Amino acid sequence: MASISLKKLNKTYGALKVVHDIDLEIADKEFIVLVGPSGCGKSTTLRMIAGLEEISGGELIIGSDLMNDVPSKDRDIAMVFQNYALYPHMTVYRNMAFGLELRKAPRDVIERQVEEAAKILDISHLLNRKPKALSGGQRQRVALGRAMVRNPAVFLLDEPLSNLDAKLRGTMRAEITKLHKRLDATFIYVTHDQVEAMTMADRIVVMKDGHIQQVDTPQNLYDRPVNMFVAGFIGAPQMNLLPAKLTQEDGRFFALVEEHKLPLPQSFDRSRLLAYEGKDVVLGIRPENFHELAPADIDPANSAPFHAVVELAEPMGSEVHLNLIAGGRNMIARVSPRFRSKIGDRVSLVADLTNAQLFDPQTERSILY
Amino acid sequence: MQWLEAFWTKEGKGIPKDAPKRTGLPLFAEIIAREWWELVKLNLLFLLFSLPLVTAPAATFATATICRMMVEDRPVYLLRDFLEALRAHAMRATVWALVAGTAVIIGVGAISAYAAAARTSLFYAAPLALSLVVTLFVTLWAACFVMVSVTEARPFWESLKLSALAALLRPLPLLAALAFVAALWIAHILFYPVSVFMPAVMNFSLGMFAVAFGAQGVVAQVLARSEEENTIQEP
Repeated sequence: MASISLKKLNKTYGALKVVHDIDLEIADKEFIVLVGPSGCGKSTTLRMIAGLEEISGGELIIGSDLMNDVPSKDRDIAMVFQNYALYPHMTVYRNMAFGLELRKAPRDVIERQVEEAAKILDISHLLNRKPKALSGGQRQRVALGRAMVRNPAVFLLDEPLSNLDAKLRGTMRAEITKLHKRLDATFIYVTHDQVEAMTMADRIVVMKDGHIQQVDTPQNLYDRPVNMFVAGFIGAPQMNLLPAKLTQEDGRFFALVEEHKLPLPQSFDRSRLLAYEGKDVVLGIRPENFHELAPADIDPANSAPFHAVVELAEPMGSEVHLNLIAGGRNMIARVSPRFRSKIGDRVSLVADLTNAQLFDPQTERSILY
Repeated sequence: MQWLEAFWTKEGKGIPKDAPKRTGLPLFAEIIAREWWELVKLNLLFLLFSLPLVTAPAATFATATICRMMVEDRPVYLLRDFLEALRAHAMRATVWALVAGTAVIIGVGAISAYAAAARTSLFYAAPLALSLVVTLFVTLWAACFVMVSVTEARPFWESLKLSALAALLRPLPLLAALAFVAALWIAHILFYPVSVFMPAVMNFSLGMFAVAFGAQGVVAQVLARSEEENTIQEP
């Protein structure tokens, strides 16, 4: 049983508070990803769980035991670091076996554990090599293997793929996800890469400035961000956040963005919208909700024409990212590669507002949730 | 000291999984390049544990055990494995040293005696040739016995039989290994005093590594064959 509970956990360095009383419940065998920009406190939180940083305040409970003052080695956790942290003078085998040797495990047990882990990670052919001969991906597998052989209840991974090239990162991402399913352990994974977070996590914890912004499943974070930070952070390209004014006509709400009058879906909670009638709001529209033609599957009642000037077109192969300017505001639309446009063209798109978001410009919190 | 960090953490080229495995001399060179530091440490261990002289045979077997593990690309815990092998093979190694040592000394004596006699009468050329061949065979046999013993725990007489078979079956790689050992010592003598530290640094471990490398194939072959025969006889 390796559920983890953080209760009002905080970390201070002198007068500087870097993690602010965070509360988080992590279920047994869950894959949870801490994501956020550099300096948001995600690695510090992970290191507090690992026992590498002293906890300034609050409680860390693993299983049913308070772990605040338990030494790292007794927490039944294993950590994988960004820079792999392999011992350069030891072979891969000895790197992987080292933890078990310290625990005075019998030789046959060490051999079996190391060989099993090596087989799973496909590094059996590297066991007698030194780290200096290995590529980044191979080193990362060794680091994972070293964590695996200890058979811990909790795996802590601190940006383990950051040093790998894009192709290898994709491969290793899938491997770690498969590994989680196979090992049936709790994984806490820190990254600043939201693609990693979205593809791997059961739940994502979005952090900013030492505060948890939102904890939810990847899809819910994408569809129902609770504030402008989460809306902007999750999704690539990021959500367009456009200043708008909320109006009501004939019982229907509209968002006025410059010259555009965009109808809001009837499904939005009217009582929440009424509080902002006639006021400034921030309208959030994902780049994929702009279309060159109105697709058959969108509700015409929830869509409206949208005109903008093309500033830059980035062909991505399967799609084109159009950097647009509308009313002096920069925005991005994801359109089909068939859509032809040149820099400086004024293009007419269709904005689908079915999944639009509305935020309070002062508090930056969602008006809808 | 920060500049040293890159030296340790710099990524390598990687080791392709499906790359064709080297064989023969390229593999020999590759393992030495990879394990040279371990071989230096092994040499020092051998010398250290040979100092009481009576432990020299056991140290030889222990060195052979480590070299075999290196040849087989198995993980080595140098001191632990060395000490374990030293204890495990102490008795057998001592008997081997007495028997093989005596046989080789008699062989060398016979060679020198017949060589001296052959100068006066050609009649002694035949026993000279015979003693040369027999001494060489005994040397190969002794080397194979060490390798068979450290590869698999078998009764003394069975190991003796299997090592004789190995020495007869494929003598050339072993002869090449012994030539390499001889070359190491000749180099030490020729380049003295530049090579004054050669024996202390590598001659023993590198020599034994060459023997292990040369004997590895044929020893595995005879052991597998013997295993098969035992399996057939059992039912």
